[in-house]
Amino acid sequence: MKTEGRKSSVVPVTVVCVIILVAWYIAAIFMNAVVAEPKIEALGGGFANTVNVSWSLDRPVIPAPHQVVVEVWKTVFTIAPWKVRSLLYHVWVTLSSTLLGFVLGTLLGIGLAVAIVHSRLLSKSLMPWIIASQTIPILAIAPMVIVVLGSIGLTGLVPKSIISMYLCFFPVTIGMVKGLTSPDPMQLDLMRTYNASVSQVLWKLRFPAAMPFLFASLKVAVAIALTGAIVGELPTGAQSGIGSRMLAGSYYGQTIQIWSALVAASAVAAALVYGVGAIERIVNRQMGARA
Amino acid sequence: MAAQAVIDARDLSLTFTTADGPVYALQGINLTVNDGDFVSFIGPSGCGKTTLLRVIADLEQATAGTISVNGMSPAQARMARAYGYVFQAPALYPWRTVEKNVGLPLEIMGTADAASRVKRNLELVNLAGFEKKFPWQLSGGMQQRVSIARALAVEPKLLLMDEPFGALDEIVRDKLNQQLLELWAATKKTVVFVTHSIPEAVFLSSKIVVMSPRPGRIIDVIETNLPANRTLDIRETPEFLKIAHRVREGLKAGHSYED
Repeated sequence: MKTEGRKSSVVPVTVVCVIILVAWYIAAIFMNAVVAEPKIEALGGGFANTVNVSWSLDRPVIPAPHQVVVEVWKTVFTIAPWKVRSLLYHVWVTLSSTLLGFVLGTLLGIGLAVAIVHSRLLSKSLMPWIIASQTIPILAIAPMVIVVLGSIGLTGLVPKSIISMYLCFFPVTIGMVKGLTSPDPMQLDLMRTYNASVSQVLWKLRFPAAMPFLFASLKVAVAIALTGAIVGELPTGAQSGIGSRMLAGSYYGQTIQIWSALVAASAVAAALVYGVGAIERIVNRQMGARA
Repeated sequence: MAAQAVIDARDLSLTFTTADGPVYALQGINLTVNDGDFVSFIGPSGCGKTTLLRVIADLEQATAGTISVNGMSPAQARMARAYGYVFQAPALYPWRTVEKNVGLPLEIMGTADAASRVKRNLELVNLAGFEKKFPWQLSGGMQQRVSIARALAVEPKLLLMDEPFGALDEIVRDKLNQQLLELWAATKKTVVFVTHSIPEAVFLSSKIVVMSPRPGRIIDVIETNLPANRTLDIRETPEFLKIAHRVREGLKAGHSYED
């Protein structure tokens, strides 16, 4: 993206954010009415009291944006990151299993794609299973994965990573099959005239040609790897991680805590996708892409 | 005493089986290409000239008859990396610089003196100084010269060229024709060249093979005997026009101008 592109996107992005914030504050008044009504009436009603009470409840149905911001601020900057009450601690727990699952899923996805591209038999026999694997709701199998792996002594990071891997290998496989078969017949014939081996064709032609497809898939994969890790924290009552924060928040009616966990999750997702994009730009530059 | 035949085809046929029935791409091809020849295949689309070149390169397999390349089967010749092949398009790998593209076959073959060969062959096609450029930074004509340098880097005795200048404008094409002729004179390679341009075929070739479609066959073989150190001006001379006329007559006889 060029600098002019960034500048010109500032205004529309700001406008959209402002609209969302305004809508949110208005919605907070109406949605919190059930809880806030008695207090507002006790204070004598009126617009000022309505606003004050609705936007500062301890356990609102929907917290006002500034309440979430304050909560995020408190749990990120005022508590040491290694303490359980720190949001950063939970972010790190989820992030580590996301990254492990993402790496495993990417390797699995690329491996499957290479196998599929080189063997008609594997392409026919594997593809239906790969597609079927994604039709199963992850919420249904996540508890089984956790329980089964737990029974063989695997707990904590690894089971969650496996759920992430299970979700994120799919876009990588689909993208890489497309990418590895993207070289045109002439580029392949050229390799044939050199009597190049299968692995030389793979490394010198198919992989480089597949890079744009790989990165498009990785952006999807990294975001759903995070979803997988969070989902993996939900069914087992995990003690740490963004998922456990959401679960604990819902047990105790701590909506502000749930929302701050949501904010953390989306910030991490955005950072991960941006990180993949940054690596993509570096790789593109190495591969001589037009500036 | 005949010179050693680089390519020798006897009763060569190739039939593609398609859903609409068989397509006779080549039928009864008899052809000898000698060491040091510059042979052009000329004919309209569908006459099998590219298919014949691909059979020589073992990119297609004949369905009947025999063919030898350097005294071997085309498959053996390909495995021995006996030829360099230039495609209709440059077919450069966009993620490789010019020098890395030219060096690609040498990487694959594990050639020791790759760097000096890349340098030498880029100089040969007048592209010294463009080593670090990427393909998109070059014009179409320059890209095709890179692909010629890449074919030459293998240092084959046989160069197979499939309409290499077909996509270029006439001015660039004239210039590259002149350069190719000089290259041929300097390197004494055997060149097999596919084209659908009569002036290009007559200007470049020592031998012109006129082909006709449905079924793809050879209808005339013309030895040109034009002087070796010719320039583009020769295209105005009576000898040149006489040969061009004979090519045109051959194409007409083969009903190539119909439909």
